[in-house]
Parts: sequence; structure tokens; C-alpha cells
Amino acid sequence: MVERSRIERARRRARVAKAAVGALTALVFGVAFVGAKTHAPGHTKGKAKPLGAPTSFERAVRSSALQSGQIAPPAQPPVVSSATS
Amino acid sequence: MSAEAVHRFRAMGCDVALAGGDPADAAVVLERWEAAFSLFRPKSELSRVNGSPARVLAVSQLFAHALEVALDTAAETEGLVDPTLCGRWADVAVSGRMVSRPSGLVLDLNGVVKALAVDEAAAALDGPGFVSVGGDLAVRGPVDVALPAGGAIRVLAGGLATSGTASRGAHLVDPATSRASESCWEQVTASGATCLDADAAAKAGFLLGERGPGWLDARGIPGRFVGRDGEIVENDAWAGATRAVVSCT
Repeated sequence: MVERSRIERARRRARVAKAAVGALTALVFGVAFVGAKTHAPGHTKGKAKPLGAPTSFERAVRSSALQSGQIAPPAQPPVVSSATS
Repeated sequence: MSAEAVHRFRAMGCDVALAGGDPADAAVVLERWEAAFSLFRPKSELSRVNGSPARVLAVSQLFAHALEVALDTAAETEGLVDPTLCGRWADVAVSGRMVSRPSGLVLDLNGVVKALAVDEAAAALDGPGFVSVGGDLAVRGPVDVALPAGGAIRVLAGGLATSGTASRGAHLVDPATSRASESCWEQVTASGATCLDADAAAKAGFLLGERGPGWLDARGIPGRFVGRDGEIVENDAWAGATRAVVSCT
């Protein structure tokens, strides 16, 4: 009877230990999952934006893309004319 | 540069003036562009592309380059110089030598082709000189140029182009309406680092109407505007560049 009681107590300790390990594992997984979702790159909190340069940057590049030439007052009679084409 | 040194001939449906190089070489360059992009030649590559029902097409390297430039120009001018003439340039894409565009969307690259041809011909000059096709020119070295409605300037570097309605009537299409522009200007002349830049700036300045001078000034581009009543308006960049400097001795 005494031997049976010791075996029962050992089995109970084993069940408690298994439950504790399982709960701890679930807790660690949950914390890691939420942490990754919140902080890790590739896990956006908001709606994904399309890849590409910001509109303000594109606008700045476009506005500076046309480049001026160099002109000055005439020095001689013109040899050619600029006309409507 | 004397007037005697200027060669004159016809190409691309325009009067051509050239100095500083072989006119035969320039004629070959201009004919190559004309053969590929003329809308009046049924066998031109542009005519064949426009006649194709395919949504995706393989094109020549020259065609892909010109279309890419046209799309860049449309972006730079906020859609004013538009190869689709209807505001749908963003629907056209070029990747390598493949072109994608909605079926039935017609392309018109006249907004950039002549200027590209002028720039290429000018790059092939032997030395200082210029190439002018229909009044749009690119220079290598200083060249004095007569302006619409009188006056002249010296182009030191880059290009100079004039757009408007004086010679061919109202042919510039406003992409916002897909109709001929009703600009308050008759002719707009602009300076650019290349003939392409100058031509795009002149067209944009013309199509923008009263906002044209300020739009060019915001980009540091000299522009000269001839109104329908003959009044001449120079934007600040033009006036600043062409104002004679009196030296102090």
C-alpha cells in the first residue's frame, strides 16, 4: 500500500511537471508571436503601401529634369532663326 | 560664323540649316528618324505599331528609346507633352524592347522625335556649329539666332526651340481636352540643355497659357512668349540671361 502511494505521488508530480512545461511553452510562444508581429520587419501594423519613391520625391525629380540651356545677348547678325514647328 | 558656311536642305518635312558638319551625314540621321516615326508613311514602325491590335509588342531599339524619352517627357511636363495626346501616357510601359499599351491606344511621338533627331545630328558635327530642323536647333559653340516677331539672341550651349500656331495653325493638342490648344500665345521659344529639353519646355509653356512664363521660371528655364496680339513677354530667366551687361572700366 505504501509502495502504491509513492507511485501515485510520483505520477502526480510528473503530470504537474508536464502541465507546467506545456503552459510555459505556450506562454513563450505567445509572447514571441505577439512580439514578432509588433516589432519584426515584414510584419506591418498598418495597411501595406506600394513600393516606390514618395510622391514628393518624384515631383521634385520631375520638376528638375528639364534643364536650361545657355543664352546671352546677340553679338553678331543671326545666321539661323528659331521658328514655329 | 558666316551665313555662307550654312548648308540648307529639306528633311522631315522641314527646312534644315546646318553648319560645322557634313550635310549628307545629317540627312542620313534625319531620314532614319523620319523612316521610323513618320505618321504619313504606312510602313514606318510607328504606323505599324499603331495599326497592330496586340497589347504587347516587340519594337526596335530606336523605337523603345524614343518612347521611353516621350514617357519621361510626359512625366517631366506633368502630362502636357503626351505621346498619347489624350492623357493616357501612364498606361504605356516600355521594358527593354517590349512595349505595352492598351489595345487601340494610338501613339504620336512627334513631340520628341524631331528634337531627338536634331540632338543626334548635332552630336555628330565635326566641330563648332549647329543643326536646325524647322527652327528647332542644337548648337555646338555660340550661334546667333533670330527670334519670332523680331529680335535675336546668342545660344551659347544646348538648344533652342519654338512652338506655337504661327506656321501650321492650331496643331498642338491639349491632353486635358484632346483638342487643339486655345493658348493665349502664338509662339513660345524656350532654351534647353538639349533641343529635346528646349522643345518640351516650349510646348509646355505654350499649352499652359498664362501660367507658362511662371512654370518655366520655376524650373529656371528661359522662355520668350509672343502673344496673339504680338506682345512679347519674357520670363525672368530669359530676361536675366539676355540682358546686356554694361562693363565698368
